[in-house]
Amino acid sequence: MDKNEEIRNEAIKEINNSSDPASLEGIRIKYLGRSGKVTMILRSLAELPLEQKKIMGPKAQALRAELDSIIVEKKKKLLEKKHSALDVTRPGKKIGLGHLHPLSIVEKEIIDIFRSMSFSVIDGGPEVETEHYNFDALNIPENHPAREMHDTFWLSQNLTNNKRQMTNDKEFRKGDISSRQSSVVGGRLLLRTHTSPMQIRYMESHKPPFQIIVPGRVFRYEATDASHEINFNQIECLMVGKDVNLSNFKFIIEEFFSRLFKKSITVRLRPSYFPFVEPGLEYLIQCVKCGGKGCNICKNSGWLEVMGAGMVHPNVLRAGGYDPREYQGFAFGVGPERIAMLKYNIPDIRMFYGGDLRFINQF
Amino acid sequence: MKFSYSLIKKFAPGKYSKEELIRAFNTYSFEAVDLGGDVFEIPNTAIAHRFSTGSSHLGVAREAAAIFNVKYIDPTLKKVNFDFKDRGVFKINIKEKDLCLRYSATYVTDVKVGSSPKWLKDVLEACGLRSINNVVDIMNYVMLETGQPLHAFDADKVLGGIIVRRAGAGEDIETIDGNKFKLSEDILVIADEDRPLAIAGIKGGKHSEVSLNTNKLLVESANFEGVGIYKSSVKLGLRTDASVSFSHDLSPEEEVARMKRALMLLKEICGAKIHRTDDIYPKKQPKTAIKFDLEKISRIIGVKIKKIEAQGILAKLGFSFSKNLIIVPALRNDIEIIEDIAEEVARMKNFNELPAIPPSISMIAGREDEIVLIKEKVRKYLTAVGYSEVYNYSFVSEDRTKISPSEVFGIKKPVKLANPLSVDLAFLRNSLAPYLEKNLKDNLRFFNEVRVFEIGKIFGDVVSGGGGSVIEKTILGIAMDGKDAFFELKGLVDGLFADLGLVDWLMPDLDIESDLLRSRESLKIELGDNNVVGYIGILKNSSHGAVLELDLEKISKAVIEEKEYEPLSIFPSIDRDISILVSSDVRVGDVLEIIQTADPEHVDDVDLVDFYQDEKFGDKKSLTFRIVFQANDRTLTDQEVDRELEKIVAFLKDRVGAEVR
Repeated sequence: MDKNEEIRNEAIKEINNSSDPASLEGIRIKYLGRSGKVTMILRSLAELPLEQKKIMGPKAQALRAELDSIIVEKKKKLLEKKHSALDVTRPGKKIGLGHLHPLSIVEKEIIDIFRSMSFSVIDGGPEVETEHYNFDALNIPENHPAREMHDTFWLSQNLTNNKRQMTNDKEFRKGDISSRQSSVVGGRLLLRTHTSPMQIRYMESHKPPFQIIVPGRVFRYEATDASHEINFNQIECLMVGKDVNLSNFKFIIEEFFSRLFKKSITVRLRPSYFPFVEPGLEYLIQCVKCGGKGCNICKNSGWLEVMGAGMVHPNVLRAGGYDPREYQGFAFGVGPERIAMLKYNIPDIRMFYGGDLRFINQF
Repeated sequence: MKFSYSLIKKFAPGKYSKEELIRAFNTYSFEAVDLGGDVFEIPNTAIAHRFSTGSSHLGVAREAAAIFNVKYIDPTLKKVNFDFKDRGVFKINIKEKDLCLRYSATYVTDVKVGSSPKWLKDVLEACGLRSINNVVDIMNYVMLETGQPLHAFDADKVLGGIIVRRAGAGEDIETIDGNKFKLSEDILVIADEDRPLAIAGIKGGKHSEVSLNTNKLLVESANFEGVGIYKSSVKLGLRTDASVSFSHDLSPEEEVARMKRALMLLKEICGAKIHRTDDIYPKKQPKTAIKFDLEKISRIIGVKIKKIEAQGILAKLGFSFSKNLIIVPALRNDIEIIEDIAEEVARMKNFNELPAIPPSISMIAGREDEIVLIKEKVRKYLTAVGYSEVYNYSFVSEDRTKISPSEVFGIKKPVKLANPLSVDLAFLRNSLAPYLEKNLKDNLRFFNEVRVFEIGKIFGDVVSGGGGSVIEKTILGIAMDGKDAFFELKGLVDGLFADLGLVDWLMPDLDIESDLLRSRESLKIELGDNNVVGYIGILKNSSHGAVLELDLEKISKAVIEEKEYEPLSIFPSIDRDISILVSSDVRVGDVLEIIQTADPEHVDDVDLVDFYQDEKFGDKKSLTFRIVFQANDRTLTDQEVDRELEKIVAFLKDRVGAEVR
């Protein structure tokens, strides 16, 4: 390798390694300064014979020009500002994002699961109901302790032309509604205590088979606490056909909860009493927090009581205009508050109705 | 009701622990809760229709015996030896045979009243009852054991005989706990010739109470019609174990056998001597027989049930069979129809052992009500533009019903509750706005700007022809507090309506004064001709809040389902800006309308792009509009556009005295 080449490699290496303008200037002086290495070569040309001068001259000149331009480029780079004037590390502009109420989120999830199983979603129906739809037609007789389970808000005015199917109490209790007549009597108005009146309203205007869910607000006259509110939500589920049975109910309920909690959920069924179903039962789900081992959420039982269910009582089918010898079906309720409290670990039902955005904006 | 585990074991002896018993009940029978020690509870709500099985130790023991397949021992089947052949000195007269279905009484002498033996006290205490004396304790114990309420009168205090009759107007009674009740004709009493001795089926009277000096008794075991007892109990505000039992329609069938159980104990514990029982039972309870429809039972449960299996289960529960009929045990008067039988079979098979079978019915596609869909769309749109959803109470105070312009929704009178929880919650809301206003205020403590919405029902009282009914509407309410709140909400209406697929809406002045909104700073929201769907306005009691309410049902009816494609114009449009000065009381809405009514041929769009008010204009303001001209069939020339613009300007000069700047 000739000497030029050697100097060139050495110089480029040093230039590349330089990290600030001062050291770069040092390198420039070292090679191109008055007594720099390249300058010295050029000076030494004068002493060479002409022949050699003709060869070496242009080579040395080229080297000087090359190093000069590399240094200029490098200097430009070193002097360049590190960052653009636009500081792209600033936080992004806040785009106002609204939040759905957690109960709306849960309701939507529930609706979507049932939609995927071909259930129709029906508007919640009237929140102010008549005694007929809320009680009589659902086989809950007046003057029977069963009505006491429904702490009811009554309205101050009565209906004058309210259709109410009247039977005398005794026959009603005996389950004999064949003697019931539709008569126009003054009935009382109330805030519905459950979404089950929609079973009757839907059956009155539709033919089976069908499967529906009806989400809606319901009311109970009771003192509020961490797990009781005077208004809350229910989702009514009703499926009616010629052979819709208890084993079908079990399939639907297990499928529903497994999808809702995105894991296989064991559902336990316990005999219970609701006047509008027979057989009647309530369903409990394995505690989603502890998986059944027992924790504070399930009061160490491993099970969470969810809601009532059963086969629609023949009197209810009749009140809806169906022949119970021909049709049968199951009904059950789902409580969005209870599910939202479980899903999101919310300790107090009253938080849902407080309108506090610090709460709502978490969802 | 509370139960003693060890007492259950006496009647259904077997090798099962208390824990196993409770678990078995929760699986096969009804909810049962361990209360620790010897005690567990079955809530009344769980057994309202099976009171006969779930409200006595014998009934519950029968369940246990059936579940664990062990012997059931019924102590009421033991024979009692009467000490006298006659009935003693008393006569029974039932005057109300519809209300008193059976009445039995036994005259008992030589009674030694004292304290009860320990075993008896223990059972009572376990079940939450206080020991009084051996006689009263035996009555209570037999009720716990058999479910039959019993009562013992001090026979010396009973004059002549027993009359079961309605109370006379003005009669009253002091009950054994010292409370006084005014009676009326709809209340049934047990009386002697002189006075009411007890409120039938509810509570005994002080006058004939058993005391330490008592040595003769009249022991009563009776049956009363459930509705009557329930009504009386509600009317008097007096609820007792007896009234709850009778309200559930106890069967009268085994009433005498149960009294004999008490007589047996009176002999044993109090050394009593017993006369023959007098029993008046005017109308025997008919036997219930149900057709053994195995096919229906299988159809309800969803799996094929074999006859031998169903029979086995039912026999263990006391049912018998005759040809193709199931004979229901007398006490099980809750069993009436084949569905009841299906429940007995299904629960004893264990609901949890049922297979989960997908329903197979003819395919019906799911669909949604319009209102369900529009709620989803609204929620999606509003949250995307920064609004958060709240749920407020349906209940409001009377004051809060008076502030909103609810007449917009046809609501003139609010709905009042007959039994409100408190004055603050005595009415049903007739508007979402009052709570939304409160939501703004509450949240402004934590946020600089607040944007909220709610979808919910509002209610109104409709008075018609002497009676009334109630209307309810599904309303969307939106409220905002922050910069330019009113115009943000106004723009939101435009955006939302366009998103929902509405094509035509107007916002004329709202002509209703209210306490909610600032005067003359609110608008109606209309779809087409006078179809008012809501209002929007600036909140009176807020520095920069605004609110709107919309009737979602009306809007959902106006939504056009399918949008249709319109060809895009292939010719370029021409924009012209025009700035005018108008008097400051001229409103932009009017100017926009004038531009439209100038009837220009090719105006595609008009927009207010600048609004400027300055001292240098005096009592005037400057408005700049951008007008977009477009023809579908050609490119417009400048001359054409100028001509149209001149026409508009002339119109503006004429109508509002506008000067072009």
